[in-house]
Amino acid sequence: MIITSAKPLEEILEILKDEDDIFIIGCNVCAAKLKTGGEPEVLDMCRRLEEHGKHVLGWALPTAACSIRSYESLVEKNEKIKEAHCVLVMGCGSGVSATANVVDLPVYGSNNTLSLGGSSSGKLLSNQCIMCGDCTVGEFGGLCPKSQCPKGLLNGPCGGSVAGKCEVNREDDCIWALIYERLKKINRLDLLYVIHAPKEHAFK
Amino acid sequence: MLFNFREKLNSSKFLVTAEISPPKGTNVSAPLEDASQLKGLADALNVTDNQCSIMHMSSLAFSKLLLDEGHEVIMQLTCRDRNRIGLQSDLLGAYALGLRNVCVMTGDFPSCGDHPGSKPVYDLDSVQLLELVRKLDKGIDLAGNKLDGGTCFCMGAVSGINPQEVLQLIKLEKKVGCGADFIQTQAVYDVGMFEEFVESTAHLDVPILAGLIPLKSLRMAEYMNEHISGIHVPEEVLSRLKTASDPVEEGLSIASGTIKELTKLCRGVHIMPIGSHKNTPRLLSMAGISPK
Ligand code: SF4
Ligand code: SF4
Repeated sequence: MIITSAKPLEEILEILKDEDDIFIIGCNVCAAKLKTGGEPEVLDMCRRLEEHGKHVLGWALPTAACSIRSYESLVEKNEKIKEAHCVLVMGCGSGVSATANVVDLPVYGSNNTLSLGGSSSGKLLSNQCIMCGDCTVGEFGGLCPKSQCPKGLLNGPCGGSVAGKCEVNREDDCIWALIYERLKKINRLDLLYVIHAPKEHAFK
Repeated sequence: MLFNFREKLNSSKFLVTAEISPPKGTNVSAPLEDASQLKGLADALNVTDNQCSIMHMSSLAFSKLLLDEGHEVIMQLTCRDRNRIGLQSDLLGAYALGLRNVCVMTGDFPSCGDHPGSKPVYDLDSVQLLELVRKLDKGIDLAGNKLDGGTCFCMGAVSGINPQEVLQLIKLEKKVGCGADFIQTQAVYDVGMFEEFVESTAHLDVPILAGLIPLKSLRMAEYMNEHISGIHVPEEVLSRLKTASDPVEEGLSIASGTIKELTKLCRGVHIMPIGSHKNTPRLLSMAGISPK
């Protein structure tokens, strides 16, 4: 799941200050789950923009904003898009870009995209993976330090890790403390001694 | 006569290193003046690399200026601001300019400094950076390309001192495994704890220089306890500062006592005062360390 947060309305109004006749596209997967782009949020955005003098011509809610088949498929959902002068996508950054691929109008995003996360036992999990393209998560018992340590350290914690908490935000656990607990649980503490090579980054 | 830092590490002498921060700006007179007080006292000066993520003149440039003044210099290098290309080219440049000692570390996260929105790099971590330095020493770069002239660095790393932090100890073991020639530690206030740390790392056989930050007030000590990672100022030290009529003087007396005990435990001290080195010469003389 892509973790997003809604931009404040003032910022959205600033982005749209020279625009009118807006068409809104929500996202019924991640953004709906996080309440940043599901139907209730789309309807609320329509209302708030109208209150600020903007004309919202219509909206559509594709299954996922990041996988829109074609412009025609959007027209099928709501013909009003044909009259629109711009599109506001209430999904993640990928949803905005995917929409721009099929719509020849200015396309804007209403959210900030924060991380690739997930949820388990009702708890939101952020930064589960930064898609480094060179996956070695198994060498850490399944918890990724590349994504969950703000410094992406592969060979153990930095000096700022104290009593299992992270120097960057003392409320957060240091991922290395969690990796230690996990490796202990699965009887693989030996993995802590492995010297991990730098990641091979590539634009894919 | 012992000359360079590597030779000194190989001797039996109790070593003194001291930290100097480059200026925030281009006026180098104050830090050069500060360093000049340590001539003949410090065996080498560590030059910080944008310490606490606060932007300063580059460690490389200021290290060279100190070298020109006749100091033995340890250039600090963090993983925070440069990718592997930047790190390697700076290391080659440093070597060509005559710098022979480096001390590598992860580096504080940018959010704690004065450019909190800057992009954190950390392309390599400190263990990988040590491995990289060793490669340059062998005349090849990280990608395996042959260099036209390699380096021969005396290479240090840093460590916390809490013997309970198992992961930190394992990381230290990795650093030594990658060939670290010396270790400089976080500030020591609790000599008992440091002694345990030394015992738990005895098998590593690496020279350890204990960090030292002279306390200046009770407030400073309490601040360190609350905010500085892994630092533990014991109750006894706090109460000495509390009752002292001159806390700065008391801080120096505490620090000199610590140095005397450290001479029995490790290879040297690494002095990192808050502010200038004004009191460092006196501190060393109080601890019985005389200029050479
Ligand atoms: S190593 Fe971590 S960041 Fe890279 S792909 Fe695997 S989980 Fe994602
Ligand atoms: S405290 Fe742990 S999670 Fe935080 S930056 Fe350091 S190593 Fe990474």
